[in-house]
Parts: sequence; C-alpha cells; structure tokens
Amino acid sequence: MDNHKLPISKINQLFKNKELKPSELYSEVFERAANTESVIHGHLTLFQEENIQKALDADKRYEKGNNIGTLDGIPIAIKDNINISGHATTCSSKMLSNYISPYDATVITRLKNEGVLFTGKTNLDEFAMGSSTENSAYGPTKNPWDSSRVPGGSSGGSAAVVSAGSAVASLGSDTGGSIRQPASFCGVVGFKPTYGTVSRYGLVAFASSLDQIGPITNNVADAKLIFNSMNGHDPLDATSLTESKAQQPKLKNAKIGIIKELMGDGISEDAQQEVHKVAKLMESEGHEVVEVSLPLTKMSISIYYLIAPAECSANLSRFDGVRYGNRVTGNTSSEMMELTRANGFGPEVKKRILLGTYALSAGYYDAYYGQALKARAMMKKEFTDIYNDVDYLISPTTPSDPFKFGEKTDNQLEMYMSDLCTIPANLVGMPAISIPTGLSSQGLPLSVQLMSPANTDNTLLDFSQSLESLVAFSDKPAINGVTN
Amino acid sequence: MADKIDIENVAKLASLKLNEEEKQHLEKDLSMIIDHFAALSEMDLPDDKISIHPLGMHLNLAEDIASKFLTHEQALSNAPESKDGQFVVPPSLD
Repeated sequence: MDNHKLPISKINQLFKNKELKPSELYSEVFERAANTESVIHGHLTLFQEENIQKALDADKRYEKGNNIGTLDGIPIAIKDNINISGHATTCSSKMLSNYISPYDATVITRLKNEGVLFTGKTNLDEFAMGSSTENSAYGPTKNPWDSSRVPGGSSGGSAAVVSAGSAVASLGSDTGGSIRQPASFCGVVGFKPTYGTVSRYGLVAFASSLDQIGPITNNVADAKLIFNSMNGHDPLDATSLTESKAQQPKLKNAKIGIIKELMGDGISEDAQQEVHKVAKLMESEGHEVVEVSLPLTKMSISIYYLIAPAECSANLSRFDGVRYGNRVTGNTSSEMMELTRANGFGPEVKKRILLGTYALSAGYYDAYYGQALKARAMMKKEFTDIYNDVDYLISPTTPSDPFKFGEKTDNQLEMYMSDLCTIPANLVGMPAISIPTGLSSQGLPLSVQLMSPANTDNTLLDFSQSLESLVAFSDKPAINGVTN
Repeated sequence: MADKIDIENVAKLASLKLNEEEKQHLEKDLSMIIDHFAALSEMDLPDDKISIHPLGMHLNLAEDIASKFLTHEQALSNAPESKDGQFVVPPSLD
C-alpha cells in the first residue's frame, strides 16, 4: 500500500470517494513505522493505540459526508518540542524526560480542529540545538537514504519519518535551518514561513526572535495546505503578526537571484551544480536568472551564533528544577539549580547557554551581542534592497549532501557551517523553502532553497510548486530493502 | 585573539555546575568560537534601527486581565516536589 505517498488532496479525494478510510491509512503508516523505526529511529513516541478511535471517528465523518476539510484523517508527526496536551514533550533532553504537557500548542489546536491524526513525537537535537540529531539524549535518527549518515537537524526525526513513509507529513521548527536542512538531507520538502505568521505558542523556545514552526512534506502542495491550516494571528504569541500585506513577487517571467556568497568556498561542487541545473530549467520557462551579491551573508554564522545562544541562555533559564523537569537535590535552592542544570542538559546545550551568557555579560555585550544586532539590521536592509530588483533568491539548501555520523562532531565550526545557506532567512524573517531536485554523485538527496520577501509565503509556495513540476524529482529511499 | 574566557565566572552566571573536564573542554571550544567572531566584532556598523522582532513589528502584549488557563493542579502536575498546592524548593539561604 502506497497511499501515504500520495498528495494530501488526492488522499482526501479517496476518502470522500470511499475508496480509502482514514483508519486504513492510519494503520498503513504504522505498518511503515514497524518496518522502518528499528533502522531510522525517527519517532520518540508513537500514538497508534491511543488515537485509533480518532481514526475511526474520521471514518464515520467521511461515511456521513460531513468531513471537516482536506486534512481530516491525515496522519501527521510532530517534533517533540511542540506541546500536545497529555503527551510527553521531552525536547530530546534528559531535563524533560518526565514532562507531560498540560496544554496544546496553538498549531496543535488548529490541526486538531482540522481533524488531523497525530502519529507521534519525533526526535530532534536536544532543545533543537544541532544539525544532525547527534545531540539527542535518546540516540540519533538515521538518514533513510543511508543509515551511516545523519538525517540533518534539528528536525531530523520529522524529516526522516516523512522520507521513510511512517507519516504523511510532519511539523518541525526552524531557528537557523532546522526544517530545511534535514528536509534536504532526507529528500523531502521543508518550509519555514515568514516569522510571526505561525504562532510559536506551545513551541518550547530556543531563540525566540528566530524560531518558526513549519511543515515537512512529500510535495509543495502539502506544505501549502498545512501552512494555511496553521497560520494566522494568535493573541497568545506576542510576536504573532496581525496583518501580512506585502507586494507579491511575480509568478511568470520572474527574476531570480543566485546568491554569489552561497556558491563559492565551502559549497560542494554537487550543490552548486544543482542550483545551475535548476536555474537553466527556470530560464527555459521564461524566467530571468541573475547573480546577486549579499555581502553580509558571509557574516551570518557569526551573527547567528551570537543572537541564538544569547536568546537560548535566557529562555533555558526556566529549567531550574522548580516548576517542571527533573531535579537533583541540593542543600540550597541555588545549589539545586546548578546541579539540576548540570545533570539535565547535554554538552551542546551547555555550550550554547555559556556562549550566550558570555555574549550578554558585562564588558562583552556591546562587542558581541550588540554588534550582532546591528549586523542583523544591516543584513535585513541588504535583503530588502535586493528584493527591489529580484522576485526570488535561490541557493543550495545545504553546503553538501548528508554527512556521516561523527564526521563533524569534533569540529564544531564545520558543523555550524552546515547551516550557512539557511541562517539568513531566519535572521531577516523571510520565508524559505527547500525543494528536493536531484541526487549527488554519491546517490544522496540534493535540494535548492528558494526565498522571497516577508509575507509572500503563498506566492513563494505557488512558484515552488511550478519549479517542483519542472524538476520532477521522484526518487525515494529503500529501507530494509523496501522502497518508500 | 579574543579575551580569555573566564569559564568559572560564566558558568556561575548561567547557574551551571561544571566538572574539571567540562571546564577544560568548554573553555577550548568557546574560545575557538569567540575567535571566529573577531571579524564581526571589528566591523564598523551604524547604529541602525534595532528590533527584537525580525520584521520590526511591535509586540502585541496581552491585556493585563485574569483569564482561565491552567488549573492549580495542572500547573503543579510537573513539579518535582509540591505540597499544599505550592512548589517546594530547598532553603534559599545556607
């Protein structure tokens, strides 16, 4: 059975035509999970037994012809830093190994209202800090294309389960590329919306001015469907946008800029060739492709690794052993907090908390954090100016195809560089999408990233859909000898 | 080369107890990262409009009125220790 690979609109049509039941599709993805989880370890928890009744309820809605909408009965996996009431939210950390959420994130409430069936919670780098899932306290997720390689991160579990077919789609969160980079490594679509379009309420905060929830899917149309089911103002998120008007880029005869700084040193030949291949296809459709320069993108790793850890050091101060999470006892409250945090956080999280604390500390604030904020404002201006000339920007999603486990763990800067192409979109708040377009010389997935001005998400998705049709990438990985 | 990081002081500020091995390892790692920031910290950048919202929007703060959210029991449900409807912590003073 291959229904899980179909576009969601097609599945919905099968449900409505009574050719397929939501409960049958629900069973199908769990059969896939039974065959793939022992290899990829994409899910931390599976909800099969507890949600089967909800799948049967969806069956009845379709039988009676009063289904809710297109997402009714669709099995979707959720990254384990997004709260679902009554379920664990571990953030792949020992700190939250016993935490059961007493509330739903806004995105969960909205998807529940659409009749979505949740398959389970997916693995991530601890508190979403990492690019490989090697920082998960519960063991890494493996890449469905090659289990000796990482699936990317931090939403590695969410990307791997879609690639492996144990969910029709998933939600991830993206702070510096954590949706797009794993989507690229696993050969699926990953979309980071404009900052503020999707509520962050109920997403465990890593870096609040950068975090965005978004979909990981088999195709662009599914990403658009899920994005439009989740977006919209939420009074529970102070950074949620109240309006989203913007001049829309062109869909026909568009002008696309290849970012020069993301096509040189540090970017593999394969990744660069993929961008040129796609550019030629776009030109054949009447679009104009030009090279553009955005000099501050070269500084984006430095800007990001000052701002994100600074915000992380403040956000993660809440894990102090008092209100939730694990506790290590001490003679005083301060000793209890120090021991609890020492025991609960893993090495990468400790490193980023310390880096952020240092960047915010007296004597260093202006030279580091203050300077990063100024550079971020300048970078935003560079992008705003360039969008006066081009409709979209294109780059590789990742500097290389998926790397091997352990390959970058001893060289942290090299690991951080794997987000070089994705970080700018978070720093300036614009939407960005990773679209799989081909295979590398090693037979591993490659993608391109498209970006557009803030609040042009649906136009970017429409344009991406036309690009997806042009490229016609349809390869799928084989796991345990079975191709998804 | 940036200033040498005082790892013990930073760990104290971050409420993190580090063992000797961690201190050595983290001091080396953090120094390497901070050195990487040198080019950025030396740039001459204007004091442009800086906002914590990447799109420069104002934050929409909620009205300061009580509303129903978690029950008392729900708020305490994940507490490592609670008693009589309160969070229990060790003494604040030695």
